[in-house]
Amino acid sequence: MNKITVTFIINSKEVTLKVGPKERLLDTLREQLKLTGTKEGCSVGECGACTVILDGKAVSSCLILTGQIGGSEVLTVEGLETDGKLDSLQQAFIDYQAVQCGFCTPGMLMSAKALFIHNLHPSREEIKTALEGNLCRCTGYEQIIEAIESVANK
Amino acid sequence: MISYEFLTTQKIEEALNYLDKFSKVHILAGGTDLLVNLYKESPRLPDFDYLLDISNISELKIINSIDNFIEIGPLVTHSRLINEPRIKNNFPVLAEAAYTIGSTQIRNRGTIGGNIVNASPAADLLPPLIALRAEVELTSGKGKRVLSLEEFLAGPYKTKLQANELLNKIKIPLLSDNYYADFQKIGRRKALSIARLSLALVTKIDEEGVFQDTRVVPGSATPYPQSLPETEKAINGKSIFNIYLEEIGKITSKEMVSITGERWSTPYKKPTIAVLIKRALKKIIKEAKTNE
Repeated sequence: MNKITVTFIINSKEVTLKVGPKERLLDTLREQLKLTGTKEGCSVGECGACTVILDGKAVSSCLILTGQIGGSEVLTVEGLETDGKLDSLQQAFIDYQAVQCGFCTPGMLMSAKALFIHNLHPSREEIKTALEGNLCRCTGYEQIIEAIESVANK
Repeated sequence: MISYEFLTTQKIEEALNYLDKFSKVHILAGGTDLLVNLYKESPRLPDFDYLLDISNISELKIINSIDNFIEIGPLVTHSRLINEPRIKNNFPVLAEAAYTIGSTQIRNRGTIGGNIVNASPAADLLPPLIALRAEVELTSGKGKRVLSLEEFLAGPYKTKLQANELLNKIKIPLLSDNYYADFQKIGRRKALSIARLSLALVTKIDEEGVFQDTRVVPGSATPYPQSLPETEKAINGKSIFNIYLEEIGKITSKEMVSITGERWSTPYKKPTIAVLIKRALKKIIKEAKTNE
């Protein structure tokens, strides 16, 4: 099994790493970079807990091999706050009590963030489509959608 | 334990060299099917020693309008099919089918080429692509060949792609204005659902309101997506003002069962496929009548 050298940008910082041929982006984030905000849920792209933003798009980091992403830019939940200030989505999740157990939250935030990159004022339907790949077993989604809507209406 | 060497490239020529040089190579594009199979160590995965990542070959991401065709690179993602004006305007049925795939995360990575080469019986893009008479261009170190998509599919999860070949292009002929198309899909829920049953219908309606050149391709109905010639024949020549949909539904059900035989799912699928063809026809007839 060969090791692959990959250079990419993670939360605005360039890194060069040696990764295994079976190493998923999710594994690299959690084990090599210790960015454990990104969660492993189903491991097969159905729950959305491992969602990160790759080159401006929401993707499941369990379905990407790190060897594939040389030259790309990755944003994880740890990259959302700037200068100690929470992203407006993070603040809205707190204000609207959109967090219960919290396991789905990083993925929810990243799917919402990806939506806002391309659409500053998404409709409720567009928000729901952006979140259709993210499961939450606690909140029933209502508070999460309301939190995102509050940012969309700003 | 699955074990392999990882190869990656940004050039088609280099990918073809790898395919010539090494044996037992598995190709990786968007990864939305392959990584699931790798994680599960699925028995469906063939034995391979090398994984060749083609996801960064930009030449395979192009969409082109050439003569009477739209050419789509195999690495075009489902999200791009949905948003690309040339696809939305010329083949809305393809964009509609792409929209029903997986979730936003899956559509941002999964590719049209992967959907074709994976050749799942439930592949969402295969019924509309076959109904649109799509062709695939395959390339190898020795040259190129073009097959109709229907001919390219060889069985469930099987295609005629040779070990040294790469899917290079998907070519779809443009349709004239009097063509109509629809895609129907039934899944367990809206997002992330594998099609229980789907159906693509493409047909021409002439000035007199008569169906011609009808193409009917169901998904998850037969071992792999294929046209239903008996159903197509039954619809051709009928008028939109005088077509007995119940009869067409029965012919479609019968034709599906003639291909599959009676299976555990037949009591569900037999009446349901009839509903899908009737729904698709009703929608197209309504649209054609408004255009009169």
